[in-house]
Parts: sequence; structure tokens; C-alpha cells
Amino acid sequence: MNTAFWYASRATGIVALLLLTAVLVLGILVNRQGRLPGLPRFAVTDLHRNLSLLSVAFIVVHVLTAVLDTYVHIPLASAVVPFASGYERLWLGLGAISLDIMLAMIVTSLLRGRLNRILWRAVHLLAYASWPVAFAHSIGSSKDLQQGWMLGLAVACAMIVAAAVIWRLAHAARQVPRARRVAAIFAQHRTGQVTR
Amino acid sequence: MTTALNTPVRLLPAAPEDLRAHLARYGPAPYRNQPGALIADVEASGLTGRGGAAFPVHRKLAAVARAGVRQGRTVVVANGAESEPASHKDELLLQFAPNLVLDGLQLAVEAVGATEAHLYLHRAPGPQILRALAERAARGLDRLAVTITQAPPRFLAGQETAVVNRLGGGPALPTFQPPRVSERGLGGAPTLVQNVETLAHLALIARYGPRWFRAVGTAAEPGSMLTTIYGPDGTAHVREAAIGTPLRALLADGAIDGADVGDGIQAWLVGGYHGTWLPMPGAAERTLDGKSGVLAALPSSRCGLTEAARVTRYLAAESAGQCGPCLNGLPRIAAALAELAGSGHRRQTLDDLKRWSGPQNLVEGRGACHHPDGTVRFVRSALVVFEPEISRHARGICSATDRRPFLPLPPGMPTREEDWT
Repeated sequence: MNTAFWYASRATGIVALLLLTAVLVLGILVNRQGRLPGLPRFAVTDLHRNLSLLSVAFIVVHVLTAVLDTYVHIPLASAVVPFASGYERLWLGLGAISLDIMLAMIVTSLLRGRLNRILWRAVHLLAYASWPVAFAHSIGSSKDLQQGWMLGLAVACAMIVAAAVIWRLAHAARQVPRARRVAAIFAQHRTGQVTR
Repeated sequence: MTTALNTPVRLLPAAPEDLRAHLARYGPAPYRNQPGALIADVEASGLTGRGGAAFPVHRKLAAVARAGVRQGRTVVVANGAESEPASHKDELLLQFAPNLVLDGLQLAVEAVGATEAHLYLHRAPGPQILRALAERAARGLDRLAVTITQAPPRFLAGQETAVVNRLGGGPALPTFQPPRVSERGLGGAPTLVQNVETLAHLALIARYGPRWFRAVGTAAEPGSMLTTIYGPDGTAHVREAAIGTPLRALLADGAIDGADVGDGIQAWLVGGYHGTWLPMPGAAERTLDGKSGVLAALPSSRCGLTEAARVTRYLAAESAGQCGPCLNGLPRIAAALAELAGSGHRRQTLDDLKRWSGPQNLVEGRGACHHPDGTVRFVRSALVVFEPEISRHARGICSATDRRPFLPLPPGMPTREEDWT
């Protein structure tokens, strides 16, 4: 039973990293109003939201199984309080920091209708800090990810995120100012004067 | 230009009235000297907003008054940004009865315990309104001084959140609700935004009571209303009529020249450019309701399909460019409708248009404001009412004998951020 918790914690942690990578990339896609093949734009937003909630579920299981496992002692508080664990103090501390940021993002997103959008946006931008911290936590604390094909997986995640961020910055530089957007779209659709 | 024609004379006098004439007719505004006292009367009267949405006025008043108790400050805005190009009723009311509107504004100020009063106008303030404000100030009739702000000439500039954004010094752009402006509006203060005609009705309810107000109109929507009505000859008239009056009767009584009931009219546009087309002869039996502030009787000599395409193009161009479904959807819909209004079209275009405006389309209900919803409603009704004309155009025939544009549209398209300020 004890080893079951340990394996479950390692497995859910790795799945959570993959999910968070997808969530970050989808978030960038939502921000730039990009699309996925075969999906309308709003579905990209929905996918971003639903995958982020799914990753929370995986992180909850990841944390609880690590705490319940008795092979190493990890206090429950260290899930949210950084550097409170004697075991792997640095790497678990990073995990706690990234979880705290994610919780702040989720709470502000659930309250988004009631919040100032500038505040929501400021908190949401912390995603760019949360993902690298979570990634460092994963690499540092997981022997699985440090070798073999799983290392390849981790490198692939990092490269995908880096590419998405570069794409976002390049795209933002080419952004049409809001006031000119309608005219720009009109130009694409042959909506000249109505003629007969 | 527009003229006034009244059946029940409640709001509109025959000519502009200054403060002296206003006081002779109505006496001074009946302040209750107690915040909130007027709200029960407004509730009993059943007054609804006359800005197009017909929302119960007492609910907004109560919400702002309640939020104001918590926050200690509230704002009242008289909204005269009549940004619908076909509507002239607010402009005329402000010219003919500015003191009635200002009475209503001050009574609303008292009812919600406001600390700030604004008048938001589509154009630069006319001489009547400036004179009324000066005369009232000289006689100390007003509870609060009124700040005048001019709206940019954009279709959405009068939308409630756009009004608050403009008054706050920003562009007149709609934003997502909640929070409602009645809870958190101008500078964070609970804000009451009421159409100027609504405030004029409020001033009369304060004087004569709910029973008097309900003497005309329907049980669901009591009172009278102003409407801008376009006869088949294309001229606009502002009329005051009881809610529930048949459209037929609005064109009748010889008010509009050469208009025998329904004669030569092919369809009615009810509710302006966010409204719906109704085919004749059924439309003439329709009655006036709170959402029919603009009515147009399209004559048989014009092409309804072309009119619908012109208006849709304008509406698409007036998107604030903020929400994807509106920004991406409306120009596409406008382009498709323009293709139908031309001669010969691809079969795919009509199918696309029906899908984009049909049930479960991906535009409606998906913007910060109701601009995409209103535009899609307009297009959907046009596709039904002008279906025979669409088939004719597909074969290269147009039934119009008069090719001049019928519905009024302003020129130009916004392309700079300053266009919204």
C-alpha cells in the first residue's frame, strides 16, 4: 500500500506537469485569440479552463499521496508553505510556491466577474512564473525525469513552452491596435459599399 | 427635419418651452425632501426605461439607492446620447422640454441620494438646454449642479457601461457586466443611468402620481412614449403615443402625407437597427411597445434587402472591436448580406448567413454588450421578410423602382482610438 502512494504521487506529478504545459500553451493561444484546428475560438478558452481545473485535481492527488506516503515524512503544511519540508527542502519548496501561485490564479479566475480586470490580469500573468517554478520542482525532485525518455519528455515540454512564449511576444509586436481592428477585418471580407 | 406630433400631450409641447412656460404648466419639481420616497411611486407606476431596453425603472433606482447607503455616494446620469442614427426623439425632447428632463434628473438625484449629476449628450448642448440650466441655477431650483459631457458619434456610445467609461475620462467602450454600474459605476460609485425621456416621465409621475401615469398604455407597459417614425415618403416625425397604440394608427390620422393605412408599404422596421423587420400586412396590426422607439414603414418602391445590407454593414463597422464573436462575426455577416443584395450569389453564402444568424449561432449572447445580439436579430428578421427579394436578386432582378437609400446612416467608419472619445 505504501509503495502505491509513492508511485501514485510520482505518476500524478508527471501528468500534472504535462497538463500544466498544455494549460500554459492554451492560455497563450487564448490571449492571442488563436485557434486549434477544427475548434471554434471559444472552445480554446473552454479547453484552457477545463484543463487547468483537471491539472488541479492531479496536483491535489499528487500532494496528498506524497503526504500520506510514510517512506519519507512530508508535512501537509509544506504543500502550501514553502521550504517547510525536511525532505528535499529546496525542490518541495519550489513546488509549494508554484502551487500557491496557481491557487491565487484559480481564486481570482473564479471571482473574475467581481474583480477589477487589471487585478485579475496581474495575478494571471504570474503563470509565466508558476510554470518554470513547477518545472524546476519536477526536474529537481523527480529521479524519473532526470534520465531516459522521460528526460526527453521534460525537455520537449520546456521547448514547447519556450516556443509558445516567443510566438506570443512576436505576435504581440504585430498586434493591430483595437481601434483599427474592425477596419482590418473589413478589408479581408470584401465588404465594400453595398452595390446592386 | 423632424417634427412633433402628439396624441396624448404629456412630454412634448408644441414648441420649445423655457423655464417660465414650464413652471406655468407644471409648477416647480415636487421634491419629497427624503431620499427614496419617490421610488415606491415609480414602482406603482410601472415606468420602464425608454432607452430601448424597457427595463423597470424602480429596480435600478432601488439598486442604486441601496448601494449608495453602503458607499455614501451615488451618481445619476441623464443619458441623451441618442446614438441610433434613425432616432431623434431625445434630441427633440431636450429641445422642446429641457426643464422636464432636468426636473426628472434632480428628482432622481433626490431619490437615490446622489452626490453627482451628469447630462450625457449625443451632440454639443443646444441653446435650449444651456438656457434651462442657467435659468434654473439662477433661481436655485436644482439640488446638484449638472455636468454636461458630449458622447462620440458612435453607435455604442450610449450603452450604459460605455457612458460610465466616457464620463470617467476614457473611451466610450462597453465593458463586461457584472459588476453592474448600479453597484460600481463612475469612479466606483453606484451609478444610475437613465434615458432622458425616462427622466421626463419620472418628473410627471412625481407630480401627478402612478394612477395618472397608468391612465394610458397597457397593464404591462403603462404610459406613453416617444417614437421616431419614418413614413413611406422617408420623412421622420417624432410622435408621442400611448403604448399599445396599433402601428397602423400611428401613420393614420392624416399625420403623414399620402399614407393611407398600409398602402404601398411592404414591411415595417420596429425598434431601429437592433430591432426586427415585420412583413405587411400583419405588421400594421402590431402595437407600440417599449422597444419600438424607432419605426420605419418601408415602401414597396424600395429594396428591403439592400436597406438591410446597408444597415448591417454600418452595424458591423460600429463594433467596438473588443469581443471576438462581434469583431470577427459581424463583418462576415455584413459581407454575406452585401453579396445577397448584389446580383447573383453563391448558394453557400445564403446557407452560411442562415447558420450565422440562426438558432445556436456563435455570435449571440457572446459579447460584453448586446451589439452582436441586436445585429443578428436584425439580420435574421431581414432574411425571413425579404426572402422573395433574395430569390429575385439571385436571378439578377431587383424589384426596387426607387434606388435612393431609405434608412438614414452616418458616413465614415471609426479607425482611431480618438473616434471613441
